[in-house]
Formats: sequence, C-alpha cells, structure tokens
Amino acid sequence: MRYSDCFQRLAVRRSDQWVITSAGNSGQAWWAATRDSERTFYLDASMSLSTMFASGLALGHPAQRFWAFMGDGAFCMNPGMLMVERSMNLPNLVHFLVSNRAYGATSNAAIPNGADNDYGAIARAIGLERVFAFDSVDALDRGLDAAVSANAPGHTFVVLEVEPFSADEQKLEQPPFDGPEMKYRFGRAFERTSGTEIFGYRL
Amino acid sequence: MNESVANRRTEIAHRICDELSECGVKLIASLPDNWISDLIAAIDADDRFTHVPVNREESAIGLCSGAYMGGLGSAAVMGASGFMTVIYAITKINYSYEIPLLTLITLRGAPGDHHKHHVSNGLYLRGVIEAINMPFTIVDTAQGIPQIGRAYRHSRTFSRPTVVALTRDLLR
Repeated sequence: MRYSDCFQRLAVRRSDQWVITSAGNSGQAWWAATRDSERTFYLDASMSLSTMFASGLALGHPAQRFWAFMGDGAFCMNPGMLMVERSMNLPNLVHFLVSNRAYGATSNAAIPNGADNDYGAIARAIGLERVFAFDSVDALDRGLDAAVSANAPGHTFVVLEVEPFSADEQKLEQPPFDGPEMKYRFGRAFERTSGTEIFGYRL
Repeated sequence: MNESVANRRTEIAHRICDELSECGVKLIASLPDNWISDLIAAIDADDRFTHVPVNREESAIGLCSGAYMGGLGSAAVMGASGFMTVIYAITKINYSYEIPLLTLITLRGAPGDHHKHHVSNGLYLRGVIEAINMPFTIVDTAQGIPQIGRAYRHSRTFSRPTVVALTRDLLR
C-alpha cells in the first residue's frame, strides 16, 4: 500500500491516542495526514528510540493510550528494543513498524537483507503474542480495530507493509517545529489531559 | 570478598537509592557494569522504583526521556563504555528538545581501575562529556552522594542532561 494512504487511514481511525513518530518519513506522513501539533511528538532523528520514548510515557500513564511509529530502517539498528518492550509488556502502547524495506529518509537506500526480513516472525520469536501485519488499505480497514483495541492485554506490534515514499511524497513538508516548541506543545497538552505536572509550573 | 566490604557496598547502594527516591525518581533504566552490580541489585529489589533493564544504553536514554514527558522522574544507570555509545541519542533528544535527564555512570579508566580495556575511557570519557558541555559531577565518597540529587534537580532547571560519575573508591 502507498505510505501516505496507510497514514491517512490510520489518521481517520485514530481516536484519543497520543502519537510518537520516528525520524524520517513517518513524521512527514503523519503531519500531512493530521496537522496535529499537540497530541503528537515528532521525535526527529531519534534513530530507533521512538518506541522507547513512548514506553516511558506509557509506563507512567496506564489510562492513556499511545501509538509509536518506527521505520524498519530504525528497527534494524536496534531490534533488541523489542525485547525490552516485551519485558515491559505495556497494554496501552502499540508499536507500528512501518516496513518500506528502505532507509526512507535517505533517498530510499536499501536495508541489508530487506526483502527477506520477517518482522512479525522476529516479534513472535521474542515472545510477543499480539502481532499483526497489514499490506493493504483494505486489510488495514478490516483488522485495525482488533489490533489496537483498548483493553487488549499485553504489548501490541503491528507491521505496516508500505511502498517507499514516491518522489512526490519525499517532498511532503517536515513537521515545522524546533525541539523546545515540540516539547512544550506536547507537554502542555499532556498536562491538560492527564492532570500530570511535567514542567513544574502551569501557564 | 569479605563481609565488611560486602556490607559497605550494600550500604552505598542503598544510600544512592535513597537519594534517587528523594529526588522523585520512580523509573530507573539500567545496563550493568561490574562496579554498579550492587547498585542495580538494590534498585531492582526496591519497591520505590520501577526498574527496566535494557539491552542497549540508547534505549535507556529514550525511555527516560519519554518518562520525563509524562511527568515521571527517572534516571539512567550505566557503565562508562555504555555512556560513550549514547552521545548521538543525548544530543538529538535531550539537547534538541531540551529534555532533562540524569545519567549515573562509572568513572572507568581513572586511577585505581586496573582493567586495561578501560584505558580508552580514561583517555576520552571526560573529553567527550566536556565537548557536549554536559554538566559533570564526580562522586567518590559516601558524603558526596547528595550530589546526585543536586545533579538531578539541575537537569530540571537547565532543561538538559547531567551526568554523575561514580568512582571505584565509592562503589568497590
């Protein structure tokens, strides 16, 4: 499925989830689909840490739900993170692995062994039980509710098989936030919603 | 190891735990180093903390940074060699977004460390920390343990990371 079509559909189906995007294309596609500047943290250039970042949030807030996007290029740099996620087993976090078989932010350079990597099998071998994979918009429509249902026990890993960004998609705008603005936009929204104190003072 | 040394290590570990707890730390992510094995065991057994062992030091940086954005106090605990692998993550996340972080590391490669494979840390660890302007505190006695709390609070004021290096004299 086209990367942008997948994210447009996810954006439509999202309800109250907080979203963490990874470096590169997922931030561009999510920004294009949502223009969300408060309930999404665009963690640019994090190289494999988006789901760990989301895990830190989700751990402290079991009543809130979180989605974290990670490209397979980032995943392949630190697949051990999935073992940590499995050990934490947070039911309020969905790890979306955006599999385009390429380093999308760097001109779609090839990932080593990209064609043969079976990310779902890796997740199951680590011990994850809630593993889903979607390779078309129709399949996503049919299966997403089961994958991201609110009260499912345990950590959820969803593989989204997408095409690499096209030349036109590569031109999508990057989320236009400097780091501190992103921190405060997200943090203030999180404070208002969750009642948590993050910064030590309220505006 | 004789009993008095074991007891001393355990006492130091518990005092560090007390200091972290008094700061408001609830989450600790760690990777081992022999010098901090007693500390990590004490953290793991301490109900005041959620302890998350990670398998790559960068994961501790990501986890603690996310915890901050949820208002959850946290600390990353790791060896000096592990710390040398996290510079990219710290500069990209904690400096770019101005997210506070306390990291406790071992001061490997300093005089008293007889492991030759830590010579590189002796040569370059402090230089790397200085190169990224990261506030750096050395704790080498039990009386210095409150410096951990000061470093934690300073990271919140400074909105950037701080690092505390624990010496062999303190830990062993």
